[in-house]
Amino acid sequence: MRKLFLLLGVFVFFCVHAQAQRTVTGRVTDDKGNPVPNASVLVKGTTTGTVTKADGTYSLVVPANARSLIFSSVDMAAVEAPIDADNTVDVSLRMEDKTMTEVVVTGYGTQRRREVTGNISNIKGAAVANKPVQSFEQALAGRATGVQITIPNGVLNTPPVFRIRGTNSISLSSYPLIIVDGVPVPTGDFSATSAGGNALASINPNDIESIDIAKDAAATAIYGSRAANGVVYITTKKGRAGKPRVTYNGSVSWTNVYGVPDIMNAQEYTDFKNMAASNNGNLNTTNPAGSGYIKFATSTDANGNLIDTYWPDHVYRTGFSNDHNLNVSGGNDNTTYYFSVGFTDQEGIIRKNDFIRKNILFNLDSRLNNFLTVGGKISYSNERNLAASTSGSLSGEAFATAGFGRLVLVNAPNVSPYLNNGSYNITPSNVVGPMGNSLAQVGFYNPVVLLDHNRSNSENNHMQANVYLQIKPLKWMTLRTLYGIDNMLVDNEVFQSPKHGDGFTAGGASASTLGKFKRWVWTNTAQFDYQFASKHNVSALIGGEQDRRTNVGFGLGRQTLSDPVYTVIQAGWVTPNTSGLAFGENYLLSYFGRLNYDFNKKYFFSANIRQDEYSAFADKQAIFWGVSAGWEISKEKFWEGGLSKIFTNFRLRGSYGKVGNTAGIGDYVIFSTYGSGLYGGQPTLIFNQAGNPNLQWETSSKVDVGLNFSMLRDRLNVDFAYYKNDITDLILNVPQAPSTGVPNSIPTNVGTMFNNGIELSLSGTPIRGKDFVWNSSFNFSTNKNEVESLAPGLTEVLSSTSGLETVSRTAVGYPVGMLWLVRNGGVDPASGRRILLNKNGNPVYYQYYVPAGQFQWTNPDGTRYNKPDGSANSITQATDGVMFGNTNPKIYGGWDNTFTYKGFDLNVLLTYQYDFYVYYGTNAGLHDMRFWNNHRDVLGAWKKPGDVTNVPKPVYLDNISNGSGLPMSYNAFRGDFIKVKNVTLAYNFPASIISKAKISNLRVYISGQNLAILTDYPGPDPEVSSNGNGNTNQGIDRNTVANGRTFVFGLNVSF
Amino acid sequence: MKNKILIVLGSIMVLGISCKREYLDPVPQTSITDATAFDTPGRIANQVNSLYAALKSGAFFGGRAQIAGEIRGENFINETTNLVTGADVWMLNPTGTSQNFVKNMWSSAYYVINLTNLFIDGMAANGSAVVGPTLSNNYLGEARFVRAVVYYTLLQHYARPYADGGGSKPGLPLRLTGIKESGFSALARSTVAEVYTQILADLNFAEANLPTSYATALLNTTRAHKNTAIAFKTRVYLTMQNYNSVITEANKIVPLVPPFVAPSGVAHALQADIVTVFRPPYTTTESILSMPMSATAGDNPGTQNQLGYYFSKSTGNGEFSLNTAGILIDPSWTVADRRRFFNAVVSGKTYLNLKYNAPSPYTDYAPVIRYAEVLLNLAEALARTNAGVDVRALALLNAVRKRSDPAVTLAPATQGDLINAILLEREIEFLGEGLRNIDLMRLLQTIPAKGSAPAKTPADQGYIWPISSDEMSLNPLMTDN
Repeated sequence: MRKLFLLLGVFVFFCVHAQAQRTVTGRVTDDKGNPVPNASVLVKGTTTGTVTKADGTYSLVVPANARSLIFSSVDMAAVEAPIDADNTVDVSLRMEDKTMTEVVVTGYGTQRRREVTGNISNIKGAAVANKPVQSFEQALAGRATGVQITIPNGVLNTPPVFRIRGTNSISLSSYPLIIVDGVPVPTGDFSATSAGGNALASINPNDIESIDIAKDAAATAIYGSRAANGVVYITTKKGRAGKPRVTYNGSVSWTNVYGVPDIMNAQEYTDFKNMAASNNGNLNTTNPAGSGYIKFATSTDANGNLIDTYWPDHVYRTGFSNDHNLNVSGGNDNTTYYFSVGFTDQEGIIRKNDFIRKNILFNLDSRLNNFLTVGGKISYSNERNLAASTSGSLSGEAFATAGFGRLVLVNAPNVSPYLNNGSYNITPSNVVGPMGNSLAQVGFYNPVVLLDHNRSNSENNHMQANVYLQIKPLKWMTLRTLYGIDNMLVDNEVFQSPKHGDGFTAGGASASTLGKFKRWVWTNTAQFDYQFASKHNVSALIGGEQDRRTNVGFGLGRQTLSDPVYTVIQAGWVTPNTSGLAFGENYLLSYFGRLNYDFNKKYFFSANIRQDEYSAFADKQAIFWGVSAGWEISKEKFWEGGLSKIFTNFRLRGSYGKVGNTAGIGDYVIFSTYGSGLYGGQPTLIFNQAGNPNLQWETSSKVDVGLNFSMLRDRLNVDFAYYKNDITDLILNVPQAPSTGVPNSIPTNVGTMFNNGIELSLSGTPIRGKDFVWNSSFNFSTNKNEVESLAPGLTEVLSSTSGLETVSRTAVGYPVGMLWLVRNGGVDPASGRRILLNKNGNPVYYQYYVPAGQFQWTNPDGTRYNKPDGSANSITQATDGVMFGNTNPKIYGGWDNTFTYKGFDLNVLLTYQYDFYVYYGTNAGLHDMRFWNNHRDVLGAWKKPGDVTNVPKPVYLDNISNGSGLPMSYNAFRGDFIKVKNVTLAYNFPASIISKAKISNLRVYISGQNLAILTDYPGPDPEVSSNGNGNTNQGIDRNTVANGRTFVFGLNVSF
Repeated sequence: MKNKILIVLGSIMVLGISCKREYLDPVPQTSITDATAFDTPGRIANQVNSLYAALKSGAFFGGRAQIAGEIRGENFINETTNLVTGADVWMLNPTGTSQNFVKNMWSSAYYVINLTNLFIDGMAANGSAVVGPTLSNNYLGEARFVRAVVYYTLLQHYARPYADGGGSKPGLPLRLTGIKESGFSALARSTVAEVYTQILADLNFAEANLPTSYATALLNTTRAHKNTAIAFKTRVYLTMQNYNSVITEANKIVPLVPPFVAPSGVAHALQADIVTVFRPPYTTTESILSMPMSATAGDNPGTQNQLGYYFSKSTGNGEFSLNTAGILIDPSWTVADRRRFFNAVVSGKTYLNLKYNAPSPYTDYAPVIRYAEVLLNLAEALARTNAGVDVRALALLNAVRKRSDPAVTLAPATQGDLINAILLEREIEFLGEGLRNIDLMRLLQTIPAKGSAPAKTPADQGYIWPISSDEMSLNPLMTDN
C-alpha cells in the first residue's frame, strides 16, 4: 500500500512539472458513506483551500507544487491524502476518537484526559445547551459524580444549591469556584429584590464548549485558598478553521407549576372552620351581638353563584418562553473567531416573574507568527430579573407576609379577590376582605393587587472580557499574560403600591439601588514542555496572579407617595432615605507552580503548589499544595496477554493535598469596629462588630484514590473513586451568649468536619447496531458528612429559617444541618389531642383549649405534666427536641441515556437523591387552625372518641398541635426521589434532504423538563431549599413555590 | 537573538508582576476601629449618643419594651394572631424560642448593657483624659443610668417580682465589664435583690454625676440629667415596694403642695393638655425621658416595632384593640376625660388610635418615663405608707385626673380606696405606655383573662417569660424560669 502511495507521489511530482496549476476534485464522506458538507480542504502547508458542498464534493485549484491535501471537519479526525494523478481525491473521514485526543482544563493550562491524575469530571457544553434553564449549572444535576445540584424553588434564576462532594463548610460558602476562560467569576444571588439574580446567568449555556469539574486536591490546588469546594472550569466556544459556520438555535417552551397542595374549597373551608371554632370554648360562636363573634360563611358573586376561589389560579400561570441564539464561527489556520448573540425571554410559573437576557460574545484567537499569539474575548450580558413581589421562596423570605407561595394556601377560599362591584377585595386592615365571614381576617394580603401593582426587579449588566498575549520563544517554552475584567452593575428596583400589601402602611414604598461589583485579574505564566530521551515527558508551569475586587453600592429608599398616581422613585415621596449602601475591597496576590512528569505515558506524577496572600486576613500568607500519581497498568508488559483483549486501558490513580476556603469572608472581619448611626438626628458611634485578628483560611486535606478502565473496545468505561475531605480550622461564627452583648457571632477557626464517600460512573454503549445505538451513562455518588468538633463550649449551631423558625441544628457527631424536632406521638384516639414525646420518649398530650379543671399539657392519664419540682411543665424544643433526620442526601446521581435510531435521537436523564429528610414546614401552615385554609386531609381530622387519625381535633386558633409554634416531626419526611429530569426527542434531517437548501445540519426536538418524580414526599418537590445555599439549614421546605414542569419545542440549524 | 529578547521580555512579564501590595492592607472606610474609638471628644460624644440609640432599638424602648409591658395586661385584645407582633406575649404563653419578644428583647437589652460597659471601660482607659473630668463624669453618669434602666426592665419580664421572696429569686446575669471577644458566655444569674442593688448603685452614681440640665428641650427629653435618675429611682423603689424611698426620691423633684413643678434641675411639670405631650415636638417638660425618632432610616423603630403600628388602626396596623372588658369601660373614666381623645372606634372596634398617630415611618417619640408617673408613684407610696386618706397623695392623684377631666374630683373614702384609685388612674393615664405589666408584677397580682387569653396567677407558668433559648444553650451557667 505504501509503495502504491509512493508511486502515486512520484507520479504527482512528475505531473507538477507538467503543468503549473491544476484543479483537484473529489468527495468527502463519513465512515457510513454519507457526504460530509462544509469539510475543510486545504493544500498542505498553504492557506489555499475550500470547503465541501452539501453533497460532500469539492473542487479546488491547487498550485503546481502541491502534493497533498488536508481534510478536516468538526468532530472528525483530520486526514491527509496525496493528490493523485487524475486530480481526484476522495476521502472518508472518521469520527474523532475523543478519548485519545480530548483535553481537560486543569487551571492555567490543559492536559490530555488520559494523562490527568487528579479527579476531573468533564461535561460537554451540549449537555446544558437548549435546556429551559437560566444558567448552566442548573442543568448539571445528575451529569457527573460528586456533583449535587438542587433547584431550590420555581422562581426564575435562583442559584441552585451546588455542592461538590458534600457540604464543605459551615459558615463560609460551599459553592465551588467558577473559572470562565481563565478568569474567576462571581457566584451567588446578586439581586437585592424578590427576583432571583444568579450572576452565572450571564453565561449563555449555548456558548459553553465544555465544563470541567475538578474535585480533588491535586486538580484544584492550583487555585489554592479558594479550592476547597472544588473548581469548575468553563470554556466558551471558540472558532475553528474553515468556512464560516452559522448556527441558529431557537426554542419555545411552556412551563407550569406542579405539586400545589390539595387545599379545601369554599364550602369545606367554611364548615371545617366553624367546626373548629365551636371546639374552642373561649370563642363566641353563638351570639352575633356579643363581642368577638366568629362565624364563617360563604358568599355569592354578582351572579348569585357561590364564591369558591382557588387562589393558586390567581398567582400561577402557564409561562411561555422563547429562546434564540445565533452564532457565527470560522477562521483560517492563523485566526479563528466565534461570535454569538442570544436572546431569551422566559416566563416563570408565577405571574410577572420573568427572565430576559440579551447577550453577546466574541472570542478571537490570532497567531501572528510561529512565536506570537494574541486573542481575547468580549462578553456582555443584560439580564432582567422581574417579579411583582416576594414569592416567599428565596433565602430569608419564607415567612414574608406577601409570599405568594403561602398566600395562595392561606387565604380563605370563600372570599374572592374582587368584590362584586369589581373592585379589589381588600380592607383598611390591609388584608383580603372577609366578605360573608363574621371575623376581621380570613387571609393575609390579596395577591392579585400585589401582582397588578408592585414591582421587585433586578437588572444585571455584566461585562466579562479578557485579552492575552502568548509568546513562544522556544519550542518548549510558552510565556503568556492574561488580563481580564469582570464588571457587574446590578440595578435593583422595588415599588410597593400604597393600595395594599407591604407598601400599605407606609403609604407606598420604593427602593432603587445600584451595586457595582468590579474585578480585574492579571495572570502571567510560563509553561515549559520537554521530552527527554523520548520517554521522559516533563511539563512545568510557574505563574503569578493578582485578583482585585471592589464593590460599592448606594441607592434610595423612599416612602409615602405624595400622590397615589406615582409609580416611580423619581416622583414625589415624603421620606428620602438611603438604601443599599455598601463598600468593600479585597485583593489576592498569588504565585503558583505545577510540575507534570510521565514516563512513557505509563507512570504519571503531578504536583501543584500555590501561595496566596489575602487582604482580609491579618496574617495574610499561606501555602496550598496537591500531589498525585497515576499508573497505566495496561502499558505494562504483563498486561499484554489476555487482559489487554478485555481492557483497552486500566489505570490507578491517587492524590493528596491541602487547599483552602475563603469564600464569604468579610473584607474587614479582622477588625473590631464602631459604626455610625443616628439618635434623634444626632450622630452616634456604636460598637457593631467584634473582630478576630487571628482569623485564617479553612483548610481541606483531601485524599482521593481511584481507578478507571475501559473494556470491550471502549464499549464500557468505568470510573471509580474514593474520597475523603478533612476540613480543619473550620470558621465558625461562634455565637456568644446573648447576655455578653457582643453584637455578632465572632468568626473563629475552630471546628473540624469531614466528608467521605465513593463515586462510581459507568458509561458506555450497551447497544451499537447499524441504525440503533444506545449510549448510557450512570453515575452514583455517596457522601457522609460529619461534624467532628465545634468551638470549645459550643455544643450546637442552630440555624433558623428566615429568622423565625429554627429546625436546623448542627452538632458534633452529626452531619451539618440535622433536623431538630420534637417527636410526634400521633393523635390520641380518645380525646383527639396531639401527642408529643418528651426527651425521655414519654407521651405528653396537648390541648389548645383548656376546659376548667383540665390542663394544657397532660400525662396520658389526664394529670398535669409537671416538672420534677411539681410546677407546670410543657414540651419545648429546647428540652425535648431530638436530632431527628439528616438533610444531606447520602446517595445521589443520575442516569443519562441517549437512544439513536437513524435520524432520531432520544435523550432521557434521570436524577436521584436518596436517604435524606426534608422538613416540610409548609405542612405546618397547611394544618394551622387559625383562619388559614388547610390541606384537605384535615377533613379526616379527629371528631369523636375512637377516631384513629393523624390530624388532631381541630380547635380554632390552635397553632401548636400542627407544628407552627413548636416544630415537630409530624412535618418531617423522607425526601428520596427519582426524577425524570429531562427527556428530549430529536430528529436530525438527513443531509440528502437539507443539502438542497444549503443547510448542513437541521435538527428539531421536543423536550420535557421535570416530567415526573417518584417520591413519597408529600410536598410539591423534595428538591427544595428555603434557605438557598445555606450550609446548615438545608432541606427546609417552608412556604416555597414549587418547581415548574416545562415543555420545549426547538430547532437547531447550521449553514 | 530574537529568542533571547523574547525570553527576557517574557520573564519580565511573568516575574515582574507589578503587584499593588498596598491593596493587601485595606482599612475600613465606613466604620472606626476600636483602637481609635476613644481618641477624640467627638467620637466619645457620639458614643454617648449610641448608648441611647441602642436603648431606642425597636426591639427595646423604641417600641417593643413598652408594647410587651402593655399587652401582657388585660387592656388590649390581639387582633391579628401574629406571633411576630406578640400574639404569644399577649396569650402569656411565649416559649424560650419565641424570637420576637423573648429572644430579641433579651439580646437587644444586653447589647445596650455591653455598650455601657465598654464605654465605662474605654473612658477609664483613655477617654476620660480626652474629654476632661467634668464631661467624663457626666458621660459616665449617663452610661450608668442607661445600664440601670436596662437591668430594671429585664427584671420585669425575665425574673420573679421582687415581692416574691424579697428579691431572693433568680435574677439576671450581672455583667459589668465590656466584652468584645469570645470566652465570656458563662455567667450565672445573680439574685433579683443583687440586681436591684446594682441598679440603685448606678442610679445613685448617675444622680450624683449627671448634669442638672441641658441646653435644649430636646436634649432634656432625650438625654439623662439629674432629675431623670431621680424619677427612675421612684419607679425602681415602687417596684421593690420600698415606699419610704419612693417618697424620699420623689420629694427631690415634687413639691409638697401644688403646683407640682420640679423645684430643681429641669422644671418638670404636667402639661395643661396631655395630648400635647404626645405631639411634636414631643419635648415638653412632662416627658422626662423619651426616645426620639426621625424619618431617616435607622432613626425610627423599624418594621413591626412601632407603638403606632400596634395600637393605631388608622395610621398603623391595629394589631391590638382596646379590651371592651378592660379599663376602657371603667365608669369613673368619663366621656369628657381628655384622655379618651386618644381612643377611636374603627371598623367597630375601639383602638388606642391617636396616642401614637404619626404615620409611617412612625416618628412618635416613644415614652420611657413621664412626670405624671413620678406624681402617681409618690401618691401611691404616700397612700400605702400613711393610714387613712393621705391628703398629699389625694392631691397628686387629682392633679393627674383633673388635668384631663377638670369636672371630676376624686374623693376615695378609705386608704384602700385611695390606693385602688391611684392604680386605676395609672391604667388610664399610662395606657399604651408599657407600665401595666410592672403594676401587676410588683404587687404579685393575677394577670386577668382577656379575650381568648386565660388568666395567669403568680404560680402559673407564663406569669413571667422564659429565658431566651439562645442564652440557655450558650451560657452553661444559666438557669431557666
